[in-house]
Parts: sequence; structure tokens; C-alpha cells
Amino acid sequence: MKKLIFLFSILILFSCKKEKKVTYHLNDVNITQNSANKDHLKSTTEFISIAYSDIFGTVITNDKLSDLSAMYMAFGDKKLIEEMVIKNFLNEPTTHIPILDRTSESTIQNFVSDSYKKLFNRTPDEYELWFVTDMIQKDTSITAELIYFSLMTANEYRYY
Amino acid sequence: MERRKFIRNLGLGTAATIGIPYLLPSGRLFASTGSRKVNHVVFCLFAGGVRNLESVHKTDGNLMPYTLKGNEGVSSDIVSGIDFVPQNTGLTLQEQGTLYKEFRMKYGPTGHYGAHATAMTGVYTGENLNINANPQYPTIFELYRKHNSPDMTAKNAWWVSNSLGPYAHLNYSSYEGYGSDYGANFIQPRSIISQDGMDNLGNSRVYTNTEEEKINSLKGFCDAHFTSQYNGAANSIINTESDKKEIESFINQCFADVGQFDDPWLIGQGLYNNDMRTVQFAEKVIQEFKPELLVVNMQNADVAHDNFTMYASNLQKADYALAHLWNTIQSTPGMAEDTILIAMPEHGRNSEGNGLYDAYGRQALDHTNDVMSREIFALVLGPNGVVVQDQVFANEKGESIDIVPTIANILGFDNDIPGGLLNGNVLTESFY
Repeated sequence: MKKLIFLFSILILFSCKKEKKVTYHLNDVNITQNSANKDHLKSTTEFISIAYSDIFGTVITNDKLSDLSAMYMAFGDKKLIEEMVIKNFLNEPTTHIPILDRTSESTIQNFVSDSYKKLFNRTPDEYELWFVTDMIQKDTSITAELIYFSLMTANEYRYY
Repeated sequence: MERRKFIRNLGLGTAATIGIPYLLPSGRLFASTGSRKVNHVVFCLFAGGVRNLESVHKTDGNLMPYTLKGNEGVSSDIVSGIDFVPQNTGLTLQEQGTLYKEFRMKYGPTGHYGAHATAMTGVYTGENLNINANPQYPTIFELYRKHNSPDMTAKNAWWVSNSLGPYAHLNYSSYEGYGSDYGANFIQPRSIISQDGMDNLGNSRVYTNTEEEKINSLKGFCDAHFTSQYNGAANSIINTESDKKEIESFINQCFADVGQFDDPWLIGQGLYNNDMRTVQFAEKVIQEFKPELLVVNMQNADVAHDNFTMYASNLQKADYALAHLWNTIQSTPGMAEDTILIAMPEHGRNSEGNGLYDAYGRQALDHTNDVMSREIFALVLGPNGVVVQDQVFANEKGESIDIVPTIANILGFDNDIPGGLLNGNVLTESFY
């Protein structure tokens, strides 16, 4: 009987504890424009003219737009022709791509953030910012042009 | 008793092996396919609306001396308006296969796109055809890629077109269960393999394999985080990554030939036209990829709407191009003696002129559903022993919807196409 009372006392003693009050503080994260909101496919002329502006910082001429639109229509694999168009733009001497400043993590983050804003028309979320920044930090051979080509041939670039 | 059991089990096992459908690694269930006649088919939609009068009936002389036997002279009133191609000194095409002189496009509007769609889907189109959309029924490319065994990538199926406009839609249909996943590579050479194409696409940034790995890594990351419906295939066929590299490299190689575009066949600059350019590119595809299925069209005879004599002139150029295509096939290792070429105009032209006269006093011709605009020919060429040689059907036999089932039969997947999709017949009399 004594043993039972002892056991019961022990259980009561350790079974109920007053809960501590903990308050979690979160940093604000900017998620103003999610990629999921993009459901408008760029037309052929929109895609070409926007890509041209993004790479050269100027407006494409009507003649060039007309030529490239015909070429786009004349090829069945649209992803391949899109890549070919971008590759040719990027090989021009007059490209206007920002310099990738590797001085610090924040300068790289600025480049990533600016690239997302320019090409995807939105700010990167925290994970995207970390992932791309980390990728650039770990690999010094990654250039601004390579980042631009990757983003501009990603599916999201086809939408706005 | 044991012996009976053994025999019964053996019988059951054999029946199961033969009768039970196979399950591919891709997970697709399919019945075993029939045997192939050859491993490659090239289908040429010939010339853009050609009347039997000017082709197989030779009422203005033999305007197709590379295809048709006979040395009938060209009518004297138009002969000076013809740009003659070099003379044929070899066998005609009809001697190397079976010629249907009275083929028919029996139903549907005799417009170019609808007639192309009929020829490439094996289904007659209706009056409500939307020329700005993909065809309603599966194209031969989709039937091939979905039902052929083993599965073939898009690199094995090509649609090479003379013109843009609606023709760009013919590499796949909107039919449920088919579509772009099973479509063909489409190219209109004139817009790409040209000086303009060279200027705009011929100076490509080349990435190393290491750079490509990094690009694919970042692009993959972006695509994984993009949640919209777009998957890259919404308006496009998709090549595998390795095929895409091969095709890009091939296009870049073709730019090196830009300087030869004026007269690549060395027949004289004034003779070379867009039909020849289109066929020449189809030949390059044949030489590079040895596709199992290629469809190429010509369209320059459609000048008949304005100028009859130029139509006649372009008809003999198309004839030359068709023979050049066949000779290229025969001189390409992997395609020679293993290819069947089918040629057919998509439709004919009206019996009556449209009131426009050319410089030689001939009336131009439209194609607006009259009886003569439904009269066409068809030619099936292939290796001796497979295709009946030098055979002519002079009476009405065959329809334009027969080409698709015939191609499916040649490549051995006709029995795997779901019932009810095709109403045409295999042109069995062409084959041994």
C-alpha cells in the first residue's frame, strides 16, 4: 500500500508542469509577387522584344523583330528556338548585362535580387535568394551572363 | 499424367507469350505490332494543287519527265514561258514504283490547309475547319510516335514545309491523348536557313559542358519553383536534351551552307525556287538524322491562281525536285533500299479558268471544290521486292485518306491504331 501511495505521489509531482510562455519573433519577408500569379503567356513578339530589351537595354527594331518572329514561327521546338535566340543575343558585343560584384555576400545578393526583378518582374523569395547567392559564392566561374541565360530560358521567363 | 501436365503448361505459356500484351518500361501497354515493309517513309505533298490534266494526263505535254514515262512535247503556245530543268536521262520514277493516275480527294473543301490536314491525318476535314489551329485528328506523326514500338523521339519525325501560316500547325493535333507530346519537329527552311537566319541565329554563344551543367542546375531550380501551368510543352513539341543539342548543331551547320542557297544543285540560278530549297533541306534532314518518318511539301505550283504558264513551269521544277529527293534517299546509307517514298498533290484545280490571263493567253486556275479539283494522282516508290515496280492504275482507285493508313502499315503499327480513328484503306496493291 505504501508503495502505491509513493508511486502515485511521484506521478502527481512530475505529471503537471506549468507551461512557459514563449513568444516567437519573425523577421518580415517580402513575398509581394509570387510566381504562381503569373498565368499570362508572353506572345512571340513580346518574348523576343522583352528579351532584347533585357539584354541590350534598348528597344528592338521592327525589322529585327519581324525576322526573329518569322524564325520563331518556322521552328517546331519552341524551347530550342528560344534558347537559340537568347544565345545569339548574348554573343553580341553590345550586351548590357550588369556586372556581378563578388565583393561581399550582400553585393551578390543585390545582383541576384536585381536580376529577379528585371527578368522575372518580382523579388526573389528568401530561399531563392539564398540558393542562387550560395551557388554564386561557391563557384567563382559562374558569370552574370550565365545567370541571365539560365533565368531567361527558365519557364517563368515565358510568363508575366 | 506428368507428361500431360507438362504439355498443357507449355501450351499455356506459349499462348500467354503470344497473346498477352507487353508492358513497356514507359508503362504503356500495347499489343505487339505488325512487321515493317521498310524502316523509313518519306511523304511528299507535291506542288500545291496540281490538276491531273497537267500532270498524268499530259494535255500540255509531259511536264513531269522525271516522274512520268513519255516524251510528249510541251504545248507550243507556252513552251517559251517554261524554265526548263535539265533533261532526265535515267529511269522515271513511275518505273520504280506504283502510279495511281486517278486518286481522289473525295470530300471536304479543296483548300490547301484542309487538304494537307486530310492527307496528314487520314480524315476528311469539314467546312468548319479552323486554319489557325492544329488539326482536330491525330497526324501521322502522332500516330507513329504513340503507336510505333519501340517509342521514337521527335528526332525521328519531321515536317518540312515550304510555307508558314497554317502549315506550322500540322506537326501535331489537338486530339485528346495525342498532341504535342507525340508531334514532329517542324521547320520551314526559308525563314531560318537563309541569310536572315544566318544574321540572326548564326552567331550563337557556345557553352561548355561544364557551363551547361551549371545552367541546367539553375534553370531546373527556377522551373521547380515556377508553379504556373506552363511546362515548356504548351505550344511546342519537346526534344530530349541530347536530341536538342544535335538539332541545334545541325541548324548551325546548315548556316555554313548559306552561300550555296542560290543554286545548291548546280542547275542554274534562275531555276532554283523555294520548292527546291524546301526539298534540299529535307534531304539534309534525311542525310543527318535518317528519320523514320518525314513529310515535306511543295507549294510553288499554286502560282496557278495568277499565271498558268508559270504553274506549268513550276510543275516541272517540282518534278525535278521529287526525283532529286528520291536520288538522295537512294544514295544515303541507312535510307537506301529501306525507304518508301509516297508523293501526292493535296488537291487538284478547277476545270474552268478564273478569268485571269497570262502573257501566253492561258487562264489561271483556282481550286474551289469542283470535280476536277478533287482529282489527283499518287505515286508509291520503294525497293524492288517490296513495292510493285512499273505498275499503273489508270482507273479510279485510292483516296487521299489512304496515305496515313498506308504509312502506318509500312511501318508496322497500323493494327495498333484505335478503331474508328481512320477510315481509309491501305494501298495494298502497291506492295508484294
